[in-house]
Amino acid sequence: MQNRHTIRRSLAVLLLALLTTTGVAAAAPRARVEFWTISLQPFFSGYIHGLIAQYERAHPAVSIRWIDVPAQAIDQKLLAAVAGGVAPDVVNLNTEGTVRMAQAHALVDMDGAVPATARARYFPNIWSSTRYLGSVYGIPWYVVPNILAYNQTVFRRAGLDPAHPPASGDAFIQAATAIKERTGIYGFMPNVDGIRFLRVFQEDGLPILSPDRRRAVFNGPDHVRLLAQYVSLFKRDAFPADTLQRGYLGATERYAAGQLGMLTTGPQFLLRVRSDSPDVYRDTRVAAYPLGRGRVLDLPTMALTVPLRGRHRAEAVEFALFVTNDTNQLAFCHLVVIFPSTQAAARDSYFTRGGVTPEDQARAIAAGELGIARDLTVVVPHSDELFRAFREAIESAFFGRMTPQQALDWAVKEWNGKL
Amino acid sequence: MERQTLARPAPAARAGRRILTAYLFLLPALLLLAAFTFYPVMFGTALSLFEYDVITPPRFVGLANFRALWTDRYFWIALENSIKYLAVVPVLQGCAIVLAIWVHRSTRGLGWLRAAYYLPVVTSIVVVGILWRWLYDDAGLVNFILLRLAVLHAPVHWLASPGIALYAVMFVTLWKGLGYYMVIYLAGLEAIPPGYAEAAAIDGANALQQLRHVILPLLRPSILLATTLSAISALRVFEEVYVMTSGGPVYSTYTMFYYMFDQAFGALHLGYAAALGVVLAAVTIGLSVASFRLLREGGLSYY
Repeated sequence: MQNRHTIRRSLAVLLLALLTTTGVAAAAPRARVEFWTISLQPFFSGYIHGLIAQYERAHPAVSIRWIDVPAQAIDQKLLAAVAGGVAPDVVNLNTEGTVRMAQAHALVDMDGAVPATARARYFPNIWSSTRYLGSVYGIPWYVVPNILAYNQTVFRRAGLDPAHPPASGDAFIQAATAIKERTGIYGFMPNVDGIRFLRVFQEDGLPILSPDRRRAVFNGPDHVRLLAQYVSLFKRDAFPADTLQRGYLGATERYAAGQLGMLTTGPQFLLRVRSDSPDVYRDTRVAAYPLGRGRVLDLPTMALTVPLRGRHRAEAVEFALFVTNDTNQLAFCHLVVIFPSTQAAARDSYFTRGGVTPEDQARAIAAGELGIARDLTVVVPHSDELFRAFREAIESAFFGRMTPQQALDWAVKEWNGKL
Repeated sequence: MERQTLARPAPAARAGRRILTAYLFLLPALLLLAAFTFYPVMFGTALSLFEYDVITPPRFVGLANFRALWTDRYFWIALENSIKYLAVVPVLQGCAIVLAIWVHRSTRGLGWLRAAYYLPVVTSIVVVGILWRWLYDDAGLVNFILLRLAVLHAPVHWLASPGIALYAVMFVTLWKGLGYYMVIYLAGLEAIPPGYAEAAAIDGANALQQLRHVILPLLRPSILLATTLSAISALRVFEEVYVMTSGGPVYSTYTMFYYMFDQAFGALHLGYAAALGVVLAAVTIGLSVASFRLLREGGLSYY
């Protein structure tokens, strides 16, 4: 008798417990927002965890799941997730990635999703970085203008004055050739791999497309002269043969090994040099990016995008706005040399203060350059085909398969057939 | 009488049950194959008739993808490079056979050698690629040794010269595959009774004649297997290229798999990439059939 009572009572308790737990779950279903970033672990794990904790405290109905993806893998992983019906809700992409996904109609139009008052907080030129066919597909997060980092020991060995680094594109090339001739160490690895010559043209003030964007125009005499200049530098062995394949990763590696005089790069790569080779880091000085005749600086932009297939669109946009608000961007900028996309955050005196470490100096220098900076990513339809032809033309010129004139004429013809 | 029929089923029923048992044993493997091989193959083949970018639903386009291939210069570049890559097959097989014959003798210490040759096979291809990128560097070990031996006067840009890069990558494939095929040939050599070679020796055949007229014909089944396997993997080479040259310079190492990867995950043309895959599969099947025709006879069985 007693026994049966106990059983009945414990069953009742169990039932009650079940009811209450399911009841709680039904009352507040937490929206699980999946947030993807590019290569922020392990340096910035603490910062992102902090953001998430703060957001979840303020929004008990939302839980954020953070996934950090290596830069090389983000496109494939995102596609696989979208195809598998498990698209993330907020994804960090660069301008090229954003435009590619926008061309596939995979992203939410941010001009529509973000209220005008919130949009006004961002720099208008940065907000427009991801504009494709009239709409903007990413909320700008942070921007990273290039700077010039140089190894002062190599400078001294080449008889150059570390106090006066090259200030123009021409002086930069002169210094690089002098370093190679006098020390045997390469002076620079110019950013000419893949399709980055499109940026080299623009930095020298040369147009890529006609004003109506219907014709490619990068085969004018000045374009040809510029390409020919780099081709002759390459033939004279003024920069390493693998420059065209290894890109900025190869340049950073070579610089960190003490085998490169100068590095034009985003200042965030100084972190890598610091952790890989403290000796080279100690010898490193930074200066403003040596501007070409166009007096314009590329401003690679990181954006937060919201896939159309995500399940929590409203929460996703709100979380993206939270991550990119003034306070949070400013806090992020305190950790690494990057710059905010919002105007109020950029006005903070922190950015003009300077300091002694290469990072602090880089920050003050780059802050002064933001006024002439703009994202130089070329946005065109059928970008994969056009870029493949452009890459082939540039490499053909470098490896002597075509003259610079022939190469650019051919690429322009390919482009005009598809634009 | 009646009880007996109940206890012992008729021969036909017994055979039926045996077949059922066999299929039941096969079932788990068949299910896995169906899910991870047959279904993707069929899906991929069907996909080649569609335009599909993952995000929007697939659109049927018939043979348009294949027609586009015909005029696509990068398809021809990639196909040419993939076919050039097949040159690795005879060299690799020749080296593996020689190596197998050498380490086949059970002298002491050869066990270590066998293990050493097998080591690259079990090393991750990405690690191998990065390692060889360093070895091939202008200031790397390969150039250093060749310069020291005065074979070269200036460092060779192994991975950065359009005329050399493909062969430099092929060499890595060879280096990595050697141990794998060596093991196949070792197994083949074990199966050859020593009597044949002894008989040939008594008849006065020298080592080279024994190799040509006795060992190689008897190894034919192994050669067929290894050649087919290595031709298939040569046609689908990707990782080495991805890690070491990213298809460059001037698309000289741009192979079919690399182009498929670019089209599928770079440009989101999954239907087009599937069409490339179908063409590659056709080439692979053709090649396998050819090598079976050429190398079918031989070994210990009489045809």
